[in-house]
Amino acid sequence: MAILDKIVKPMIAGLGITSKRLGHSRPTVMYPEDKREQFPRTRWRHVLTRHDDGLEKCIGCSLCAGACPARCIYVDAGENTEENRLSPGERHAVRYEINMLRCIFCGYCQDACPTGAIVLRKDFELANYDREEFIFTKEMLLEPALSERSK
Amino acid sequence: MAEYKLLLKHSDDPATQTLAGYKKAGGYSGLAKALKMERQAVIDEVKTSGLRGRGGAGFPSWIKWNGLPKEKVKPHYVLCNADEGEPGTFKDKMLMETAPFQLIEGMTIAGFAVQGDVGYIYIRGEFIDAAKALRKAIDEAYANNLLGKNILGTDFSYDLHIHLGAGSYECGEESALMSSLMGERGMPRLKFPHAPLPTVSGVWERPTLINNVESYSCVPHIIDKGGEWYATLGASTKNSRGTKIFSVSGHVNKPGNYEIEFGTPLKELLEMAGGVKGGKLKACIPGGSSMPVIKPDAVDVAIIGYEEMGEVKSMVGSGGCMFFNEHTDIVMLAWRTAHFYANESCGKCTPCREGTRWMVQIMDRIVAGNGQKGDMELLTEVANNVEGRSFCALGDAAAWPIKAFIRQFPEEFEYWIEHGKSPVTSKEALALVP
Amino acid sequence: MAAATDIQTVNIIVNGIELAVPKGELVVEAVKRLGLEIPIFCYHPRLKPVGMCRMCLVETGMKNPQDGTIRMMPKPAAACTLPVSEGLVINTESDALKKDRKGVLEFLLINHPLDCPICDRGGECPLQNNTLFYGPATSRFIEQKRHNVKAYPLSDYVTLDLERCIQCARCIRFTEEISGDSQLAFRFRGNKTHPITFNETKFTSKFSGNVIEICPVGALTNRKYRFRARPWDLQTSEAVCLNCSNGCNIWFDHRAGKVVRINARTNEAINEEWTCDKGKFGHDYYNDEKRLETPFARTGDELQKADYATVYAKLLEAFHGDNTGMILGDSLSNETYITAQNFFTGQLGSHNIDYRFSANQAKGASTVDNSIASLELAKTTLVFGTHLADDLPIVFLRVRKGWFNQGTQVILATDRSDEVSEFAAHTLVYKPGTEATIAKAFAGQVSVADAAAKCGISEPELQAAITAAAGATVITTTSLNHEAAEVLKALDGNFNAYPTGANERGAQLALACDGLSALEQLKKAANGELSALWVVGVDLFSVGLPREEVIRALENVDFLAVQDSRRTETFYYASVALPMTLPAEQDGSYTNCEGTTQQMKAIIPPVGQAKPAWRVFEELSIRVNPRMPFSQASEILASAPAFA
Repeated sequence: MAILDKIVKPMIAGLGITSKRLGHSRPTVMYPEDKREQFPRTRWRHVLTRHDDGLEKCIGCSLCAGACPARCIYVDAGENTEENRLSPGERHAVRYEINMLRCIFCGYCQDACPTGAIVLRKDFELANYDREEFIFTKEMLLEPALSERSK
Repeated sequence: MAEYKLLLKHSDDPATQTLAGYKKAGGYSGLAKALKMERQAVIDEVKTSGLRGRGGAGFPSWIKWNGLPKEKVKPHYVLCNADEGEPGTFKDKMLMETAPFQLIEGMTIAGFAVQGDVGYIYIRGEFIDAAKALRKAIDEAYANNLLGKNILGTDFSYDLHIHLGAGSYECGEESALMSSLMGERGMPRLKFPHAPLPTVSGVWERPTLINNVESYSCVPHIIDKGGEWYATLGASTKNSRGTKIFSVSGHVNKPGNYEIEFGTPLKELLEMAGGVKGGKLKACIPGGSSMPVIKPDAVDVAIIGYEEMGEVKSMVGSGGCMFFNEHTDIVMLAWRTAHFYANESCGKCTPCREGTRWMVQIMDRIVAGNGQKGDMELLTEVANNVEGRSFCALGDAAAWPIKAFIRQFPEEFEYWIEHGKSPVTSKEALALVP
Repeated sequence: MAAATDIQTVNIIVNGIELAVPKGELVVEAVKRLGLEIPIFCYHPRLKPVGMCRMCLVETGMKNPQDGTIRMMPKPAAACTLPVSEGLVINTESDALKKDRKGVLEFLLINHPLDCPICDRGGECPLQNNTLFYGPATSRFIEQKRHNVKAYPLSDYVTLDLERCIQCARCIRFTEEISGDSQLAFRFRGNKTHPITFNETKFTSKFSGNVIEICPVGALTNRKYRFRARPWDLQTSEAVCLNCSNGCNIWFDHRAGKVVRINARTNEAINEEWTCDKGKFGHDYYNDEKRLETPFARTGDELQKADYATVYAKLLEAFHGDNTGMILGDSLSNETYITAQNFFTGQLGSHNIDYRFSANQAKGASTVDNSIASLELAKTTLVFGTHLADDLPIVFLRVRKGWFNQGTQVILATDRSDEVSEFAAHTLVYKPGTEATIAKAFAGQVSVADAAAKCGISEPELQAAITAAAGATVITTTSLNHEAAEVLKALDGNFNAYPTGANERGAQLALACDGLSALEQLKKAANGELSALWVVGVDLFSVGLPREEVIRALENVDFLAVQDSRRTETFYYASVALPMTLPAEQDGSYTNCEGTTQQMKAIIPPVGQAKPAWRVFEELSIRVNPRMPFSQASEILASAPAFA
């Protein structure tokens, strides 16, 4: 009796829970083969966006750097000329670097940006083997122009 | 009451434009009398006369005359403001062209009274004829010892110069006039209590007396006939004495300069000018375009006088009296006025520089048919921010008419804003549209 | 200056608080005594008030002295132009004033482009600040903004953006009242009014950088700083400008170890709050590509990178006794001069250590009687043999201030007319080389007629100037002809021979100068009579000596050591070379032309292996004679009696 009460019954009860769960959908995704869809307002990796005509939205104003509580953004600005026009208006970013090791993904840079250039999107796979690689340069952050994207 | 011709007594007679003719008509007796008087007695005579500045502000003239130092240390200057730029005013032009000696005599008496050394007549650049007439008259006066060294054998010496401006409304403002005269940019300067009065430190930082052409032209008559006699003119008013020339223009049958005693009803002035032409009276600007507009019911009761005009919420100003008949589009009138002041703003202070342009832009939008609800309130608000905040009176001059137009004729503005077109659709009005 | 008891005070009431303030003080200044602040744009304490911007409106009234009732004026008044008077009543805070300030700011902003994100002034802009504190949050302006020229290069240093301009006339008034060149003026009227140079010519003022700093918006910006950083990117440190001997106090703005801009730092005794263009825009040498980063030693015809130990060994081998010499630049720190003297004379036994390339720079004649600040109080000033705006720009501003504010009579005697002649009562332009004669004429040692004939000046002019110059304060430089300097020094008035080298005064104090002067050393080296020459912090090709002479000297000396911050032309002749830090990279003190010693701290890290020159001398010194070396600059200064 004791065996029935202490061992068999709990086993059946346990199997009962298991069998009940068999009908549920699986929460675990097979990362990295599968990736979970992120919430719409998820803040992950930064992207420097462009206007539809291919010009960069970033004007190198450094307001993101000013707003950044982790001080992880570095901006160097330069002047647009007729020959070298990267953004509308007078000014563009020559260097735009984010230290991803320091970034806390608060999104203040996105709030501060007067042109909507810097946005935090859903790419969360930021791991790397080399510390140097965590300095994201402007080339890495800049989204491809519309014409290149279609290719 | 009818016209009272004192300053314009001889203006119909070209003979008085020569020295001989002017003397024959009684001219220069005032100067001769003044030179025999004490300097202070001359100033007291002006005080007794109750003469107030005819340029627009109506400041008692004798206070300025008395303000110059009695102990002369530096040279004293006597300035005549002949930069008559107020739209609708053309009395000084006529006075200079038809009675130049009257002005010269008045300035000479003023020069004597305040121990002046040099006088300058700052004439608006466009008044070539007036400058020519004055040039001729001054040359003749020099030749006859009425100007220059030891005038009429006394030890009083006095020079008189003409200076032509370059055509700026702002240079009619006395401190801007002084800047312009000194060769600086025609921008107003600091005034009392921010800086000393011109009577202490005016042009070239010397004591300076500055008055309007009409004020100086009154002086020979005051001295000749006595201040007490002059004070009997316009005695019916509270505090306005003498005569005032009104430049009547607009929709009247006989536009022109009319000299009247203070205390004359505005309605009589309209009758003198032959009544309204081409329809009923709609509006009147009694004192030059910077003064608030009044409606016909106010015209009926208005008495001409510095204080009396205040009762109908307007001012005597410089006497540029404009009448408008019923075919006038008040909004277009306001639009034109706003453009004038925006164009003439000197750019020195923020409210006037930016406010006048903003008002123009709003008016432009309204008359282009793109008026919005709230534009009237915005215009009033902008005008309020300009009024009293600007550096000189030009800001007030730009704000007052706009505010008054909106206050007196709100329905016309509302119609424009709502319908994007003029409420005045009569044939006569359409004929005016270019 | 008037004694404190002479100051008349009047009683005024500010926001209900009674206080006594000096008579005639402007309201905008008087309220600061209560810690209140009135917003301003056009007002600047060092410029005459104009009352243009209308930002500083306050409510005013008068207190009736009999019954004590207060009558307020119907209109607000500008606080920046209103002098206080007895019984004046001021209100700086009221609902009506808040509305007025909002109104003025709204007016200023309707035509302002609001391109703050790309404006160099953004973040330190009075218009931004005032808008934040007093302005409206939104605009009711829906019309087209006024468009105008943007990013117009007014000069090599100044960019003009007319859309941002709020027409406050500060820049115009600066050029009229302070620098005196009157190059800027308003053009057009009404809402088209804008400041510009006459006919859009180049803005060539020697003090043009100041208009950038006093501009309350981003209308005038620094071309060299354009888009290089935002204010929050910058680190700012106190520093002293070492581009001339005036020793202006500056803010040294740097980002990531690089200098990006120089701003004036207020020091009433020296530069007030101004800088000259040479100082403000002349700090590029910090970021020079030719900075020397490591020691070099010569192997055959090649200069190769070496380490300090190698170079030190070679130096100690080459330098011994009076057959060797050391030439120092005139802009090194006092510590460098002190340690160099101790090391070179004390340890190596050579007296040939000097900084003077001109025979006129005699040590004795370099008297300075006047501080810079006291020059503005002089009754008569004789500017002799110098072009003040170039040689001593801040002294020039003081002399001009004295003339502008209290009518100092200025007499100028130089070889060509310059900025001083614009306001000088007498200008004497003499033939070059006749300084001594004309100085003697001032002293009455030669007849006026003879001097006039010899110097090419008309006799009455000279006579008038000499009469006017009686008892004058003389201003000249140490490079003035020695004979002329001696004569002028003996005159009645104060005599000031200001040094022109950045720390020439410090060199005068620290160096004994009892051996060969720099010039004599070079001559000796050219004849092959000098076995080794050490050149510290000076490029011999830029001191005004004939090239061939310098080349001959450098080629004929056996061993040439060069210690400099960059690869100068002299460097390529060196046997060994040592990198040297620049003033902002090291602790140090500098003595300006009037004798004020100012400290400077290390602000940015040194480039490469560069070391302060004094540390090199100390390290060498203990190799010769082991002892406890000085480890800090302050210890060195404290050890020198000349700077006590």
